[in-house]
Amino acid sequence: MISLSGLTKEFPGGVRAIDSLDLEIADGEFFALLGPSGCGKTTLLRTIAGLEAPTSGNVSIGGVDVTGTPPGRRDVAMVFQDYALFPHMDVTANIAYPLRIKKVPRARREARAAETASRLSLSGLLARRPGQLSGGQQQRVALARAVASHPKVFLFDEPLSNLDARLRLEARTFLKRLQRELAVTTVFVTHDQGEALALADRIAVMDAGRIVQVGTPPEVFHRPAGTFVASFIGSTPMNLLPGAAQGGALHVAGVVLPLPPGVEDGPLVYGLRPEYADLSQSAPPERNASFAGKVAVVENLGTSYLVTLDTGDALVQVVVPEGPPGTGAPEPGAPAWAVPRPGRALLYRDDALLAHI
Amino acid sequence: MSPADPAGLGRARAAGFVLPALVLIGVFLVFPALWTIYLGLTDYRLTGLAAADPQVVGLGNYTSALEDERFRNSLWLTVQYVLGSAVVGQAVLGFALAWVLRNRPGPVKRVVEGLVLLAWILPSSVVAFLWIALLDRDAGTLNALLHTPGFAWLLDHPMPSIIVFNVWRGTAFSMMLYGAALENVPPSHLETARLAGASTFQQLRDVVLPRIKGHVLTNLLLISLWTFNDFTSFQITAGGPEGRSEILPVYIYNVALSGGQLGFGAAISFLVLLVNLVFAFVYLRLLRGRREAVSP
Amino acid sequence: MTREEPDQHHPPPRSEGRGRFWTEERPQRGTSEDATREDAASRRPEPRERSERNQTRHALATIGRATFLAVVLGFFSLPLLWLASAPFDAHPSITTSVPEFTLANFRSLLDNPYALSSLGNSVIQAGGSAALVVVLAALAAYALSRVRVPGRDALLYLLLLLSSVVTGTAAMVPLFELATRLNLIDTHLGVVLTLSGGLLPAAIFILKDFMDGTPASYEESARVFGASPLQILRHIVIPLVRPGLATIAVWAVANVWGSFLQPFILLRDPGKSPGAVILYTLYTEGGAPRLDLISTFSLLYSLPVVVMYVFVSRRYGFRFHGGIKR
Repeated sequence: MISLSGLTKEFPGGVRAIDSLDLEIADGEFFALLGPSGCGKTTLLRTIAGLEAPTSGNVSIGGVDVTGTPPGRRDVAMVFQDYALFPHMDVTANIAYPLRIKKVPRARREARAAETASRLSLSGLLARRPGQLSGGQQQRVALARAVASHPKVFLFDEPLSNLDARLRLEARTFLKRLQRELAVTTVFVTHDQGEALALADRIAVMDAGRIVQVGTPPEVFHRPAGTFVASFIGSTPMNLLPGAAQGGALHVAGVVLPLPPGVEDGPLVYGLRPEYADLSQSAPPERNASFAGKVAVVENLGTSYLVTLDTGDALVQVVVPEGPPGTGAPEPGAPAWAVPRPGRALLYRDDALLAHI
Repeated sequence: MSPADPAGLGRARAAGFVLPALVLIGVFLVFPALWTIYLGLTDYRLTGLAAADPQVVGLGNYTSALEDERFRNSLWLTVQYVLGSAVVGQAVLGFALAWVLRNRPGPVKRVVEGLVLLAWILPSSVVAFLWIALLDRDAGTLNALLHTPGFAWLLDHPMPSIIVFNVWRGTAFSMMLYGAALENVPPSHLETARLAGASTFQQLRDVVLPRIKGHVLTNLLLISLWTFNDFTSFQITAGGPEGRSEILPVYIYNVALSGGQLGFGAAISFLVLLVNLVFAFVYLRLLRGRREAVSP
Repeated sequence: MTREEPDQHHPPPRSEGRGRFWTEERPQRGTSEDATREDAASRRPEPRERSERNQTRHALATIGRATFLAVVLGFFSLPLLWLASAPFDAHPSITTSVPEFTLANFRSLLDNPYALSSLGNSVIQAGGSAALVVVLAALAAYALSRVRVPGRDALLYLLLLLSSVVTGTAAMVPLFELATRLNLIDTHLGVVLTLSGGLLPAAIFILKDFMDGTPASYEESARVFGASPLQILRHIVIPLVRPGLATIAVWAVANVWGSFLQPFILLRDPGKSPGAVILYTLYTEGGAPRLDLISTFSLLYSLPVVVMYVFVSRRYGFRFHGGIKR
């Protein structure tokens, strides 16, 4: 178990990369630190590794306080974003390097390197140098090196970001299977919400050095704690429209919607994922509860379209599945209605989740 | 920017790593330098009464140096030497070679680079002899080649001779440094400029130069300092005839060791150090300006 | 995950600039010749003339480059010819000429009591200085590159300045007196220490550049696996900057090999003098240079540095600027 309490890291010049942060990560958990660049997630990972010393607060791993312990004695393994494979060593020597430090005899460590390599389907490449490997192979060698050291904790810094898009999907599946097999506590840093949702058991969403929400992927996806998480999670950004509660009804972008009981009057933010609205090209029955406007932009997403609707008051985006064969995309300029699905929209007040409607 | 101390060295161990080098530098470089500064304030001589019991004469050596026609002439010759052979000669020829030879595999590149480097790594006494042989009045190869028998290059044109010599001697360093620097210019930048119709000159000015400015400055500083203090030309002209190629290091040698005025020579060494400091200061300012321009 | 993809750590292959430019221009020329669409013609006026002009420019550039290289080749080889011909000439003069071939000069050089042993002295002094400079400069450059010390750059520049001035003639007297008091006169160690002190600042300066160019993640990675700072230096940093170390070693050897003033002042015993000093003793009793001995000795004396350079540059590459070659 990894637990962080009151952790703060301030860099010279007064920048607070981590701001009094508390977090518990369970044994065997696959845990994601998610956030935009500069939010402090990599600094947090490096602090767990011991490469950065916290300004205040504590780090403990497996119940032992390691705040002052040098990185080499924390029993963690880290995979760097650029993999940091030693260019002058071949694959065997790279994978066996942690064992060399632990003074394992050469024959034993080479055998273990070969064994780990075959597990990560690298067997044919043992004599190559990193420069002779493809990006995907380099990533697996870096993983193998971490695996071979048998650590208590894996730390991955953007492990997939240096791969091209297609390879990244394969590597993602591979990584998840590997973690399940080894059942080693794993913390990884990513800026890609899709990666975090796909891989992690739990996600900590970070912003400006603080954790804004911790939860399972369904939790952060369906119940984002604030508008920051709401806009950050999801493959298409959530519609966030300013509105107001007045006399038991919600006024947003020229539409009046019913409000659940108990919502006091005052300003609100209405959030709706583009996937949770339907587009109607003729006036729908629930036209009073729909956003009416003109199609402004149509983006092809393969099996669906992302349609941007201009209501005059706001822009509303809707994901529209493709129709039966032969039907085309909505035409820009045509009138259309966006119909929210019941129970899927979110209401925020003072950046806190208030209700679903 | 790399994070501080990636290897976990710590202040104490870092100091331990630096210390041996600093001790050696302190004893065999800084200490003699301080001693030289002290000597510059005395009338210390190699022989005679002042050798046994040198007297402190304060700034007397400095005032007489600044009034000395021979010193001022020597300073002016040194400026010509540094500008002509290092800043213009070595740097420009070195860059031209690096530019022409870049991405050009094959024997031509190897032969040209090999010869330029040979001129640089041969011992200076051998090289001096080669040039005396080349430029000799009666039997020199150059006169034989140009059909100008009896033309006294070293007597009639001593400064141009040693300037050309130093270009020959030192171009290799600039060529190598610029060669490495040009590898850092992404080919796509040059291709973009070429597709936009830029001439070679425009490509150099707009794409290459901004990219390698740091290398240019480092190179200019090092070759200027080296040329400023280069003693090899002594082995060719010994500063003559009549002091017409007596650059400062040669002047100091002539005054201090041949003429025996050690205190006076030391004072001039200190003046040379000051001039070098000005060079380095200008360079540092330019470099800092560049850093600010890159990362506002 | 078996798909191969191009290695992203290798830069894309450099295109041979001009050739590529041409293949891209050609279609434009073809369409404007075939199609007589006026708008196309007005957008690109006189495409044929333009490409002809480019062709002329291209040809001129090739000729210019060849001429330039030929002149440079002549300039750099001319002074060296004498070194290649005179040692083998039965009657060497200062003029370069096709030698009347003989090896007698080498035999008479062997009769000189100090000639060959001086090369041994050169090896001891140059090798000792290079080893000392490389080890001390590598340690210092690494620490200075990785740990932030206030005023570090200013200090380095100051030392660099001092080194280029103090190694000159002016500090010879203090150096001589220092060596006398430390009992280093007439010892190889005295020459080695004096010369190393002068070479170290520039060596640190250049090596630090190499160290700065190596990514910190290599060291951090090793550190997380438990490597100590000395292990990191030995396993990771030194192999990565090996071209820099080799360059500094060659540079130091070449410098010491050619140094005349310091050994001349610090050594009285001709049996300990290096080649640079012995070269100046090869005169007749009347003071005329013995060209047969000088040319032959120059050649023998030059060969080791050249051989060393060729060896090192083949093995490690010889470069003065950092970054890692994978």
